[in-house]
Amino acid sequence: MTAPTITPYRSELPPARDGFPQLLHAEWTKLRTVRRWSLTLLAGVVITVLVSLLSAFSGSSSVSGDRSAPPVGPHGGVVSDSFPFVHQPLSGDGSITARVSPLTGREGRAPEPWAKAGLVIKESTKAGSPYAAVMITPGHGVRLQSDFTHDTAGGTVDRDRPHWLRLTRSGDEFTAYESADGSTWAKAGTTRVAGLPETVQAGLFVATPEETMVQRQFGSTSVGGRPARVTAAFAHVTVDGGQGAWPQDTVGGGVGGGLKGTPDSATEKSGTWTLTGSGDVAPYTPDVDIAQQSLAGAQIGLIPLVALGVLFITAEYRRGMILTTLTASPRRGRVLVAKAVVLAGVTFVAGLVGATLSFLLSEPELRDRMPNPLFHPDVALTDAPVLRAVVGTAVLLAAVAVLALALGAILRNTAVAVTLMVVALVLPLVLLSGLPLDAAQWVMRLTPLAGFAVQRTLPDYEHVDAVCMPENGCYPQGPWEGLSVLCAWAVVLLGVAVWRLRRRDA
Amino acid sequence: MRGALHAEWTKLRTVPSTWWLLFAVSALTWALGAVTTGTVSTDQCPSPDECHEDTVKLSLTGIWLGQAAVAAFGVLAMSSEYGTGTIHSTLTAVPGRGRVLAAKATVVTGATLAAGTVAVLGSLLVGRLILPGNGFSSTPLSLSEGPALRAAVGTVLYLGLIAQLSLGVAAVVRDTAGAITTVLGLLYALPALVELVGDEKWQERIHEWAPASAGLAVQATKNLEGLPIGPWSGLAVMGAWAGAGLLAGATVFKLRDA
Repeated sequence: MTAPTITPYRSELPPARDGFPQLLHAEWTKLRTVRRWSLTLLAGVVITVLVSLLSAFSGSSSVSGDRSAPPVGPHGGVVSDSFPFVHQPLSGDGSITARVSPLTGREGRAPEPWAKAGLVIKESTKAGSPYAAVMITPGHGVRLQSDFTHDTAGGTVDRDRPHWLRLTRSGDEFTAYESADGSTWAKAGTTRVAGLPETVQAGLFVATPEETMVQRQFGSTSVGGRPARVTAAFAHVTVDGGQGAWPQDTVGGGVGGGLKGTPDSATEKSGTWTLTGSGDVAPYTPDVDIAQQSLAGAQIGLIPLVALGVLFITAEYRRGMILTTLTASPRRGRVLVAKAVVLAGVTFVAGLVGATLSFLLSEPELRDRMPNPLFHPDVALTDAPVLRAVVGTAVLLAAVAVLALALGAILRNTAVAVTLMVVALVLPLVLLSGLPLDAAQWVMRLTPLAGFAVQRTLPDYEHVDAVCMPENGCYPQGPWEGLSVLCAWAVVLLGVAVWRLRRRDA
Repeated sequence: MRGALHAEWTKLRTVPSTWWLLFAVSALTWALGAVTTGTVSTDQCPSPDECHEDTVKLSLTGIWLGQAAVAAFGVLAMSSEYGTGTIHSTLTAVPGRGRVLAAKATVVTGATLAAGTVAVLGSLLVGRLILPGNGFSSTPLSLSEGPALRAAVGTVLYLGLIAQLSLGVAAVVRDTAGAITTVLGLLYALPALVELVGDEKWQERIHEWAPASAGLAVQATKNLEGLPIGPWSGLAVMGAWAGAGLLAGATVFKLRDA
């Protein structure tokens, strides 16, 4: 008698079903089919948009106020361009040379570090027209600047002794020279200014940024600014290729009308010109970053996303689902990575929707409520800095969700993980204004909070001293730098989570 | 009722997380208090004697961190019963649901008040030790002064109210993640809105109605006229939040199947 042959059971499913795509599909199914999680995701978007709208529509609107158009520079941005200008026409190539005395502030005050005195070759006396200028500054030595946004450093300047400067034009190219004694000259730099006519104005100028006063004490900050005024003397002024007479003008109208002391002026005495001026020649940087403010809701909208990220792993432990998950896919590291990929993708899309809506709905209102909207750049979603901020906000929300997932996987405790994340990301908003500046800036640099730097859209110019206060949303680091700090946190913690998951029983 | 209280106390006492969280209340409060008192300086003031910094409030800043542990404690006292299914045994043993919640609230509040007292006294001690080194020597912290005593007692009461609010929210939401997110949103996101809205009227409104910023007004000892809301009325707002939370929790707890 022969034993009956038994055919062992073989699954009819095709082999190789435990690849990474299948894992992604499994995690996506888990995320998609829990209705509470979809609602949480929606809550993240809605809160982001609502808080942004609240911050836009609660702003004080100023109906009155000066709405005259500010000068616009060759780069298309708003500029400050106001200085006493003693000049003469210069046809074709040529140069201007002078010995410039050290700058003095008004009524014996120290001048601002970025106060300027020097030589300028400018298209016309119209504010905002293209120019190249070489100057001495009290805090930053000799500088060659052109068209407001370009700045090249030259040599250092002795604070107490006059300094010789020369600026030459050769077509569109400008070269600056400097000298301590008027006989040995060193090149300070070259720059190009496009679109200048044959005849330009070459002359002398002084300018200074405003005096800023910052009062920062526990819980309250006040930043005040008032026009400053500086004076400098120019001796041995010669213009190679000039035409003799010295007309005086004030470019852009003075700004220091209400100041006491010597008014803005230019006087000549036995060949030496003394100029006193109160305006500045620099790009204008608004103190409010409107595009950044329109995305403020993300700072609160991240709370539901944190809860989602933590739950995506801790719920598996609570329900015992983790056992099924790890049985189906015994390679544990890949499970967590698949979870992170799915979560990051979903929260990125949600964040992108939230950020785009926030920007489109809040930005026009915010700009309209500024004292003079014309001083703020009229930006569109497709402008590079705005696009960076909006997409960056989505990346930042995805990174926060992954960070929450990693923390949840390490701690396996919903309450503690959610609490840690929310406290780390939201509490600084309440407390940063109370910490001393140094401490606050270190928190913004090193904690996951650094990622919010990506929302900043205004350019930082090295040759403009901006008041950078944490409570105004000014981060000490660049946008990408900040975002990469946050992403590093997420990646490192995810690595620790993978390691822990492998080493420990589920 | 005594039996219910005893049962709740036993449940609370025998879970290790209780002791960890109560320890965290003090440790976190002290740590942040040490950071803020350690980094403050008199540089901004004309002279150290003229520095009218609210040193009591400054020393108690750590509560902003410590309250997170209180919130987790209050939430877990309720939601973990649902997570583990203990709620069935609890309600079988004590069928009066109002009594269960009242006993829980009493035990949780009592434990929080005890931990809060340690946290507050420790923070004031830390402030007393650190602040003179930073130039604030003229006004040593002392509980014998009326406002300082009010700030200390009020802060402890505030923590007790946070625990009740968390318990109430957890009774409504039942799920740990949902409850803790809701409570932390109330405690942190609402005051953070003050930094995000531009209008002063709105900032003041949020200050008056958000549980954390209104309740912590009780810590102010200086410049009381400048506050959006007075110390005791601020704590009363927090009390109203806690009362509303507990009431909602009790209502839902009675009406719904466990």
